[in-house]
Amino acid sequence: MTFDVEINGRVRTVSVERAAQGGYRVTIDGRPHAVDAARVGTLGLSLLLDRAGISRDVQIAPAGRNGELLIRIDGRTIAATLNGNRSGRGAADAGGHAHGEQSVVAPMPGRVVRVLVERGETVAARQGIVVVEAMKMENELRAPRAGRVKDVVVGAGDPVEAGRVLVVIE
Amino acid sequence: MMKILIANRGEIAVRIIRACREMGLPTVAVFSDCDRDARHVREADQAFHIGPSEAVKSYLRIDAIVDAARRAGADAVHPGYGFLAENAAFARACADAGLTFIGPSADAIALMGSKTAARAAAVSAGVSVVPGTERPLDATVSDEAIATAADEIGYPLLVKAVAGGGGKGMRTVEDRGSLSSAIRSARSEAGSAFGDSAIYLERRLTRPRHIEIQLLGDHHGTVVPFVERECSIQRRHQKVVEESPSIAVSPELRRRIAGAAAAVARSVGYTNAGTIEFLLDENGSFYFLEMNTRLQVEHPVTEMVSREDLVHWQIRIARGEKLTIDPETALTPQGHAIECRIYAEDPDQGFMPSPGLIRGLRPAAGPGVRDDGGVTAGYTVPVFYDSMIAKLVAWGATRDEAVRRMSRALREYEVLGIKTTIPFFLWLMRQPDYAEGRYDTTYLDRLLAARNGQSFSELTDDEEDLAAMAVALDAFLRSGPADRGPATAWKAAARRDALRE
Repeated sequence: MTFDVEINGRVRTVSVERAAQGGYRVTIDGRPHAVDAARVGTLGLSLLLDRAGISRDVQIAPAGRNGELLIRIDGRTIAATLNGNRSGRGAADAGGHAHGEQSVVAPMPGRVVRVLVERGETVAARQGIVVVEAMKMENELRAPRAGRVKDVVVGAGDPVEAGRVLVVIE
Repeated sequence: MMKILIANRGEIAVRIIRACREMGLPTVAVFSDCDRDARHVREADQAFHIGPSEAVKSYLRIDAIVDAARRAGADAVHPGYGFLAENAAFARACADAGLTFIGPSADAIALMGSKTAARAAAVSAGVSVVPGTERPLDATVSDEAIATAADEIGYPLLVKAVAGGGGKGMRTVEDRGSLSSAIRSARSEAGSAFGDSAIYLERRLTRPRHIEIQLLGDHHGTVVPFVERECSIQRRHQKVVEESPSIAVSPELRRRIAGAAAAVARSVGYTNAGTIEFLLDENGSFYFLEMNTRLQVEHPVTEMVSREDLVHWQIRIARGEKLTIDPETALTPQGHAIECRIYAEDPDQGFMPSPGLIRGLRPAAGPGVRDDGGVTAGYTVPVFYDSMIAKLVAWGATRDEAVRRMSRALREYEVLGIKTTIPFFLWLMRQPDYAEGRYDTTYLDRLLAARNGQSFSELTDDEEDLAAMAVALDAFLRSGPADRGPATAWKAAARRDALRE
């Protein structure tokens, strides 16, 4: 099964298969690794890498919006998106949302500074959609996935509450 | 027997409930709409709803809180910090309702709550204050008169709100030309934050350290000051890391600062827990800044190096007990303690609030680590309040050991589903100037400005590979028939999210 994982704007292609001797063979950008993986709770993975048995602990949590995942490694947290789903259905499940309508919502109370798209426009995944000011910070909200803008619900200058739908993408 | 209503929420409410339970005292929580499932509600013996989520309609409602105390049959109120903790009207309302207010008298709160009156009290107790205007400058004072006063103080200076706190209504003025615009914006900010637009001027010291003295006063005339805390690690005038003792304070200087703090407290007949803040300049001169008439956020570092429980003492003092802490011992640090305030904020987005559902939580533990948490897994951090979710405290025999232990604990601390300031603290602990204690109140803002928004969670290429492999493996495992259980739970979680949106 092959997955595209985007971290910090770079997409890595990762394929996973069960190894004959147990564990998994994980190939990342052409480089193979032998990985022993144990699930810990709902969100944790304990990984033992290669022959040295390097132990790494990783937690993968959906961040609640846009299908973004928050990955925690040794006290640091980075965002990742799993957008390719070439041969498995797991990717779609992990992303949380894959088909149908998607909404760009305000993460906190604030004010709309700019709307960057128009109704009917085609947008790419992670394209900037709306700029919202909250706590004196401008924050660009991005498209959760590629699609067409079905509805623009707000305009520049509108005050918005947390959870308010701003733009609908289909 | 006392039954204590805690007029607060979050970690401080949990902290106070812990103390009450240790003392065998029943507790009453209050909560707003969005806090029904909050940790403090779940841990208290009783809990009462007091209003909508907005703080002005719930945690700031004196009438609703006093009414909850009456309904619960409580006979004492602990205000925690923030909200109504320094509101003299609240202390009076509690007294009028026959409730013991666990804190200083309403008069002491009112007196020290005025920054200019507090400065006058310090001066009459023989303590130096930062040079500045003696009286509040209300809206009737002309800009020309203020400019004349400013010339006497000298530039750069600070415009501060008389009723201020938390950096609100505060402006730095470099020269005479920018004075009147700074006064206008400080007045307007102070007016909306505190309902009082009066300001005063204070000289700005170059690179001062923020040193403060915790003290306790009983109702029998005893005031005991503790070893200083240093809170110079500030972002935009907000403390983010505190420690005790200060690397900049010798035992001799400690005696002088603690003595000054105790003199100010005695001169106003102060009772219960309070903190006097000072600025310490490069020459070892210290100046009274203000008094906080409540328990402070950073009180755990004092508890760690004094082995005293300040909340227990607050309750015992309110019951009329005598302080039995040896003053010599209180001024002798036992090791070193550091506190990091863990916020639901994204340090990589300019510390923007990151409210949301906490999907997993495993606080750090082990030797010398204390977690004062206010949330649990499954709780949604609301947008209505301060976003601090926990205070992590590390103790070491030496400062160096405390710094290493804090790094270890931060690495262990697991908060899933929301962004927190943990990666920022991990980075800060590695900074050579921090590790060696070379800093002042301007240090962190300068350091952050120099970073230009670079991520605090930077991973090496190998670590990014690891993260990508983990994401792929996770998806692979969820897709397999052997992992039906987790996959189903995951889908259910995803469905819930979809509904939330």
